[in-house]
Formats: sequence, C-alpha cells, structure tokens
Amino acid sequence: MATYKIQIDDEVRNATPAEAAVIDAQHAEAEAQEQAQADRAAAKQAVLNKLGLTADEAVALFS
Amino acid sequence: MGANAQTSVPLFTAGEVLTAANQNISAGTGVPVFATTVTRDAAFGGSGEKVLAEGQLAYIEASDIVQYYDGTSWATLGPSTSGGLNLISATTIGSAVSSVTVSNAFSATYDNYRITVNGGSGSTEANLNFTLGNTATGYYWSYAGVEWSGTTAFGGGSNQTSFFAASTQTKGTFLNMDIFNPFLSDETVINTRYVNLKTATTGTSLSIGGFVDNTTSYTAFTLTPSSGTLTGGTIRVYGYANS
Repeated sequence: MATYKIQIDDEVRNATPAEAAVIDAQHAEAEAQEQAQADRAAAKQAVLNKLGLTADEAVALFS
Repeated sequence: MGANAQTSVPLFTAGEVLTAANQNISAGTGVPVFATTVTRDAAFGGSGEKVLAEGQLAYIEASDIVQYYDGTSWATLGPSTSGGLNLISATTIGSAVSSVTVSNAFSATYDNYRITVNGGSGSTEANLNFTLGNTATGYYWSYAGVEWSGTTAFGGGSNQTSFFAASTQTKGTFLNMDIFNPFLSDETVINTRYVNLKTATTGTSLSIGGFVDNTTSYTAFTLTPSSGTLTGGTIRVYGYANS
C-alpha cells in the first residue's frame, strides 16, 4: 500500500492504513473510468472508420 | 429629527430638581439618539452636559447606526455588514499532499454553501474528487462540457466512491461548487463548474451535477486528486444566508 501525506485543516500527516485504502479506492475508480472513456472513444472511432467519415462529418450528418 | 432625538446629554447636580422632561431625555431614550454626528458632538461637554468619555453609546438617525466612543473617536458598532454570502473558512493547501480535509465546514447556520478552490498546482493532470465526511459510496454525477476544439465531452458515474468535482492541473486548480443540504438530514446535492487550464485542444470547461444517496448530516469534506498530489492554492467555504 502506498504512503500518502494528507492534510486535515492546517495539520499535515501520513495517512493511516484505513485512510490510504480510501485514497487507493478512489485512484482505482478513476483509472477504471479513464479506461472506460478510452474504450468508448475507440469504439466511436471504429464506427467512424467503418463509415469513412470524420467526427465533424458525423456531427454534421445528425445536426 | 425624530421623536427620540436629543441635542444634549444633561448632567445633574446635587439638589437639582429632576423634571419629567429631564427624565425623558436622560433615561427614556436608553442609548442617546442624535439626528447627525454634528448634533451628537454638540451634545457633550457643554454647561450642564455630560463630559464625553470612553464607553459612551449613541444612535445616529441620519445613517441608522449605533456607535461607541473609545476615548479618542467614535466607532460604528452595527448593524453588521454581513451579506448574503459569508466566508466560513479559508484553508491553504500544503505541499505535496494527497488529500485535504476541511473540518467544520457545514453547520446548522446555513443550508447551502459555495466552495471555491483557487490556484496552487497538481503534480499531474488528474480528477479532483470530493467526498463528504467518511462516506465512500453512493455518489452519483454526470458531466457535460466542451473542449477548446469544440468537441463535446459527456460522462457520468453511478454509485461511485467519490464525486468528480474538477481537474487538477499543473497550472492551477479552479473550481466553484454549490452544495445543498450537507448538514441537513437530507440528500446532499452538488453542482460544480471548472475550467481545465490546458492549451491543448483537449482543454475543457465542464459542468458537473449530482448527489449523494444518503441523508447523513455532514460537517466536513475532503478533496483528493485521483493521482498525484496538490501543492498550494486556497480552499474557501462560504455559507449562503438562509434569510
């Protein structure tokens, strides 16, 4: 488990194991979201490639 | 000049007859009332008048204020100048911290709050997550934004461990958040806006809205970058006056 320095109001100290676990969970969740976003973008691009359209052309098509 | 206004603050000598008129002036008004600061100044120190000294109070009709004399000059006691938005706390973010908690941010005094984060820097570009108290579940949010290129950006999170509030940037973090009912035993609703200070075309301005799915009463919140650390900048908490 990583060591984190945390601040509570004006006091800065090392996180307890429980506090570090909360930060780890947030980091993991953010990574998963980033991956899901990248997957969505790749899927979108694959469809555009299949259609032979640029993103701007696809937007114009549906506007 | 109003019915309570007086032009002198009389002082009595031994054996002097206290008339009804005297009584009405000296005691009936409690704090002496003057039309202006000019008549206030003229009311002390003359023949048969009280000598102005430290601790003296006065009400000025012209400006609707209560003043006290500190021995040298008059100072205004009230009314207070509190407005609709009142600063509760300002926390300077330390150096290379992985999270910042602000305690005693929320109380029974206000139902709704504005939180701002201004300046400082993140060690890397990352999400800036927001949590209430020790709650690490039940955060629901969605965002909509537009990149500098004009490309739209949408997304959301359901039953997350935190609320996605902003983005940390090496150039600084700039966030404004409105938060409703965090102290009340009701669902807490959150709206934020932030600007991503990035010159690449993927730089963004975003609006994020959501809520926390419980009715817990909170007094504290924590900001945690999804990776890296924060250094510097200020977190300010303001309360919206209930009335």
